[in-house]
Amino acid sequence: MSSTALAPPRRRLRLSGRSLAIHAGAVFYILWIALPFAWVVLTSFMTEAESMSIPPHWIPDYITFDNYLAFVEPSRFGVSFVGSGAAQAAPRALLNSALVAISVALLNLVIGSLAGYAFARLDFRGSAALLMTYLATRMVPALAIMVSLYLIFQTLGLLDTLAALVLSYLTFTVPYSVWIMASYLRTIPRELEDAALVDGCNWGSMMLRVFLPVATPGLVACAMFAFMSSWGEFLYALLFTSTLSSKTMPIVIAGFVTDVNTSPTLMNAGGVLAVIPPLVLALLFQRMLVRGIAAGAVKG
Amino acid sequence: MLTADRSTQALPARRASLGARLGRSPSAFAYLLNAPAILLLLALVAYPILDAFWLSLHRYNLRRPDVYDFVWLQNYVDVLTSDLFPGSLGVTLLFTFWSTVGVLVLALGAALVANEKTPEQPVLRTLLLLPWAMPGVVTALMWKWIFHPQAGALNGLLFSLGLIPAYRSWLMAPDTSYLSIVTANVWNTMPFSVLVLLAALQTIPGELYDAAKVDGADIFGRFRYVTLPWLVHPILIVLIVQALGGIRIFEIIYLLTGGGPGNASTTLGFAAYMTSFVSTDVGRGNAWAYTIALLTFAIAVVYMRLLYGRGDIRT
Repeated sequence: MSSTALAPPRRRLRLSGRSLAIHAGAVFYILWIALPFAWVVLTSFMTEAESMSIPPHWIPDYITFDNYLAFVEPSRFGVSFVGSGAAQAAPRALLNSALVAISVALLNLVIGSLAGYAFARLDFRGSAALLMTYLATRMVPALAIMVSLYLIFQTLGLLDTLAALVLSYLTFTVPYSVWIMASYLRTIPRELEDAALVDGCNWGSMMLRVFLPVATPGLVACAMFAFMSSWGEFLYALLFTSTLSSKTMPIVIAGFVTDVNTSPTLMNAGGVLAVIPPLVLALLFQRMLVRGIAAGAVKG
Repeated sequence: MLTADRSTQALPARRASLGARLGRSPSAFAYLLNAPAILLLLALVAYPILDAFWLSLHRYNLRRPDVYDFVWLQNYVDVLTSDLFPGSLGVTLLFTFWSTVGVLVLALGAALVANEKTPEQPVLRTLLLLPWAMPGVVTALMWKWIFHPQAGALNGLLFSLGLIPAYRSWLMAPDTSYLSIVTANVWNTMPFSVLVLLAALQTIPGELYDAAKVDGADIFGRFRYVTLPWLVHPILIVLIVQALGGIRIFEIIYLLTGGGPGNASTTLGFAAYMTSFVSTDVGRGNAWAYTIALLTFAIAVVYMRLLYGRGDIRT
């Protein structure tokens, strides 16, 4: 694709050829990303019979909201759908997902900004080594520690609780949050805190009243990343949850995906519901997230 | 760039009031601030990774918790000599290779396109967030439905265009099941790489292109001698992030193919999961998992050296 984007088809029409290739490339990428999801959205408004028509109907002949209502009012639609059990589980699973993701985000804010402050402001022995250790921690594959975590949670009696999910999600979010906060807090001018301290604030109130408010963009980015990676997490949720008291949305969706008898319309409606919260957050905080992704990987 | 600044050594006098309680040492205070993160990661990452290795040296099955025998490296011998190992290692490496190549080529093109000021640019940049924000299970659901053997969009599209003579079970045939999971993974992981490359593209000074133009470089020349050298580092980061993700691939396999048909799409990660949690043989399952950890470790070392080399982290 790189060569098409740049290569003019004809030498004489260099500029127009180049811009034509760029427009063609842009349209290609827009379709490549949008079409698969559009198909999911369109299917979620079809009746079950229409969704199974061969050849497929791209645009629904008859638009129905029943697939979504089945999630809201399972009792009314419960019997008419295959896989309605999963739909009945959805509201509780959405609540579980939200509780876990919000808890993880809040804990990351506290843990990440404390450690991040140390890296940004204090010259201490072993700081570079410690920062590298955080990075190394992040690379430990979940697959390698899943059994041990399972046994730990079993011993502590935490299996099938939201606490097990929160604790296990902290393992991969905290190292990243420390990095985000460390690099963001470094950009805040030191004079700000010094002035506050000279004015008689103690360290705690300086942090709360002066430093953290200025650091809001970094804090938001930190919380967003933690929320999103927790919302969609699958492996730990698969292992540590067994009933609705802790099952999260990805597990309920997975039930749809792996069950061959599931109603495709219900499955697709569930998929749309699960993607809405992270997608809305991503759109709201677009600039911040893009900067964060670039900063986390390219330059601090 | 994240090391503490030298100038912090002279802390303001007022701050010493808190420093005094902590033994007048900025180091002690720094480690106190790091304590929650360190304790958490010691308990939930460092201990488990050691414990996992210890378990991998034992015969231990969750269904027979009374049997716990130290067997040295027997589990590793069993894994490496099992019928499943060569195949699953091959699938994992090939999956990683094709995902990485696919993402790199597509992401490079997308970054170049998204770097141009066109009417489509804002749409494209916003749409990039969709696969990035989409949970893995929803990605899997989407592709499962696209690849559906009867009502799937791919069958309908290709058949109506006359490109396939009959509907196919994409996920159930050995040759296409593999291609299908690579496609799904590329779709899901591409935006991150585009954003990384795009951020780097935006830092290229325009004068470099002007200078190259003056020197008579055509559009290929400018790409070859200005753009590409500037992108070497972000491209390496994309390669490593993709490799780390590919080696540990599990979710998409579990959801789309279940490792099948037969073992045609069984990866190391899927084998580790099946051994530990379906066969409940956690001793051997951890031996599987540790082979993944060792592969990851090798890549991670390269990654760290790279970050050091670039000056992101200074000692």
